[in-house]
Amino acid sequence: MGKYIEMIRIRFLMMLAYRTNYYSGIIIYSINIAAYYFLWSAIYGAKEDIQGLSVIQMTTYIAVAWMARAFYFNNIDREIALEIKEGKVAVELIRPYHYLNMKTMAALGEGIFRLFFFSVPGMFLVSLVFPLQFSANPATWGFFGISILFSFVINTQINLMTGIFTFFIFNNDGLMRAKRVVIDLFSGLILPISFYPGWAQSGMEWFPFMYISYVPSMIFSEGFVGQQVWNALMMQGLWCLLLLVPIQVLWVLAKKQMVIQGG
Amino acid sequence: MNSMIHVEDLTKEFKSYSSRSGLKGAFRDLLTRNYKIHRAVDSISLDVKPGEMIGYIGENGAGKSTTIKMLTGILTPTSGDVLINGMNPHKEREKFVKTIGVVFGQRSQLWWDIAVQESFRLLKKVYNVSDEDYNSHMAMVIEALDIAPLLDKPVRKLSLGQRMRCELAAALIHNPPLLFLDEPTIGLDVLVKLKIREFLKELNKQYNTTVMLTTHDLSDIEALCERVVMLDEGKIIYDGSLSQLKTSWGEGKQIQFHFKTPKTRDELIRSTGQQLVVWEPGENENTWTANVTNDEDIISQVIGEVVANHQILDLKILETSTEEIIRNIYEEGIIHG
Amino acid sequence: MNHLSIFVQYVGQYIKTRLTYRSDMVVEIMSDLLFQAVNLIFILVVFGHTNLLSGWSKDEIIFIYGFFLVPFALFSTFFNIWDFNERYIVKGELDRILTRPIHSLFQVILERMELESMFGVVTGLAVMFYAGSNLGLTISWYDPLLFILFVLGGALVYAGIFISLATISFWSDSRTDIMPMMYNIGNFGRYPVDIYNQIIRYVLTWILPFAFVGVYPAAFFLDKTEWYGYAYLTPVMGIFFFSLSIFLWNIGVTKYRGAGS
Repeated sequence: MGKYIEMIRIRFLMMLAYRTNYYSGIIIYSINIAAYYFLWSAIYGAKEDIQGLSVIQMTTYIAVAWMARAFYFNNIDREIALEIKEGKVAVELIRPYHYLNMKTMAALGEGIFRLFFFSVPGMFLVSLVFPLQFSANPATWGFFGISILFSFVINTQINLMTGIFTFFIFNNDGLMRAKRVVIDLFSGLILPISFYPGWAQSGMEWFPFMYISYVPSMIFSEGFVGQQVWNALMMQGLWCLLLLVPIQVLWVLAKKQMVIQGG
Repeated sequence: MNSMIHVEDLTKEFKSYSSRSGLKGAFRDLLTRNYKIHRAVDSISLDVKPGEMIGYIGENGAGKSTTIKMLTGILTPTSGDVLINGMNPHKEREKFVKTIGVVFGQRSQLWWDIAVQESFRLLKKVYNVSDEDYNSHMAMVIEALDIAPLLDKPVRKLSLGQRMRCELAAALIHNPPLLFLDEPTIGLDVLVKLKIREFLKELNKQYNTTVMLTTHDLSDIEALCERVVMLDEGKIIYDGSLSQLKTSWGEGKQIQFHFKTPKTRDELIRSTGQQLVVWEPGENENTWTANVTNDEDIISQVIGEVVANHQILDLKILETSTEEIIRNIYEEGIIHG
Repeated sequence: MNHLSIFVQYVGQYIKTRLTYRSDMVVEIMSDLLFQAVNLIFILVVFGHTNLLSGWSKDEIIFIYGFFLVPFALFSTFFNIWDFNERYIVKGELDRILTRPIHSLFQVILERMELESMFGVVTGLAVMFYAGSNLGLTISWYDPLLFILFVLGGALVYAGIFISLATISFWSDSRTDIMPMMYNIGNFGRYPVDIYNQIIRYVLTWILPFAFVGVYPAAFFLDKTEWYGYAYLTPVMGIFFFSLSIFLWNIGVTKYRGAGS
């Protein structure tokens, strides 16, 4: 376990090393959220609420969605693909740890860094300028914390899968790009799921995407209350377990593939 | 003023920052940083005449690559003057690079996915070479490097040796009067090395091409270069002919004796005296090495005295290798020369 | 003219390479289409809940999006430099570029172009014609000319911004995540700028002038006379920002530190 924690720490340090990245990131994130705020204010116009969300809830939703994204988002699919292409994976495999776990831990290190040094100050800045609605209920914060952890796991699992796919389709860029687009759209990052027409919503329930962004944002903006929160968290947990199956299958197949191709 | 390369007081400094250790240090680095100025090349001056082949040597990090990169216009010097072919490399980069060829042993000039000849065609366009020039000149290059059978293969399918020969050809498409080679033989087998050396000699003879070569393999230098420039910590510590280097730094010769019976140092000193020879024990008690200055009279005198007093099975005269000389220079610093 | 013939040569090589990896090309076009669809879906879903966005109708917003796709396609075809830092600075590929007798930026552009992205022009035009016919727009003789001018201006604005961002790598070789975020901010130029407050409007007009790649020039074809002034400025802004970025690039190249030692 120690080596995995060390990996988190190393990633954390790596993130700190790039300070241009750090400062510019906060500014750009703020501009982004600000622009969304105005876009949504214009969409609401004179309306009180759309699909049960008020303007303030909506802007809180968008701000939280982007800030949560800083935590769960990572590029490990691209990292894995690159390591496969450059033949570095074979070296990784002879090291005394589980490759996928190590990648996950690296991503977690990045995520924790962004959460505390990026999302929190960014959120603070944004809340100075725009009317966001923060819950005074500690339970909401607690649920939100659990929920983004699940989001991280689900998103990372999907990234691992797309990354491993490089073993089978060598030039995997298209798939990875498509994945990103699908996640942006169907995770609820740019649009709450409840805004979609009914048939689309029921279709999305069969996929894990909405559990990445929609659920934590709804919990935070208190669009979900009471039993809804518990149900949503249960579904997130269920998906985390469910996605382990395809990853394991792909990984076993990938290792076989590697033996044939010689890394 | 008829030098090919004229370098005066050339200096390149890099600013780097050192990071503090640990998490706390990393946070402090977010706010302030410790900068350090590192002088990679320290006011060097150099003149190279047209047609010279010079070897540029030094340990890792001595500043070889940085110099080459400044001479080829890749890096902008911190201070000092460079004039090559009458041009300032970084000021008139695009015009300047038409007159040089560059091979980086560790970096490919060729396009990975396409056939070698397609890369050549593209480069021919890039360097704006006319068909006649290309045909007459490249025919010789392709022939001499023996790469005709490789031309229709994609670069990624070539072996390192094959690729290196193609790289060299690619650098010569515009028949430049000046060629920079940065570690051109790194990782190559002996046969390919020999072929490349032969080719460079031929090129130098036929077109009077000036060649500047950096390498870790001193046999390259011995085979090609009359003149060597040696660099240490950014400064030139030797600039002159290779033979001069050997005589003034070579510290004489070694005579290796294999005696029939075990000998002691005292026994040997008794027969040769202590003025001319320094005896060193060899692998076992039967073998001893005599270090003498490089003087024919002394060498024959020592051999005569030893043979007269002791029975020997074998004897070898060894010259100090260039490698050893260089190692000595770096270990001991500049003592003479 | 030499540049043109080198360009043609590179395109030839590009096509040859691409023909050997045909499936990649299909996947790339598909993922581009998907990407374009996402934005369209966003607009459609939003207008499922409202009829007007500060006085702009659904078809008008879709028209702006269609217009935006055309300069954006040109931009992504030729200025695919979002990974410039990793590819050229960290790996030191710029060394090679700098030993060749063509402007370094031009070479990077040639090496990184992705002609498949040109497909976006088709999508963009299709979206524009669809929305335009819903709106009953008519085409005058000078419209195509101005369209080309505005598209080029918009593509240059985009190029200028992203080249300027890429030049940061010459000074600091640290990894930056700015590029992907900037793509996102670029999207805001597609909505009528009057929905934003002063600061954001100012940023989108004069600092990161993405509004010139969407709403301003498109407003001209939508006959929104109050925006004509800005629309005509599009080529000027394009040339200005592009020149600025070249200027920054040329300074940046002299600061290049090379990879390793």
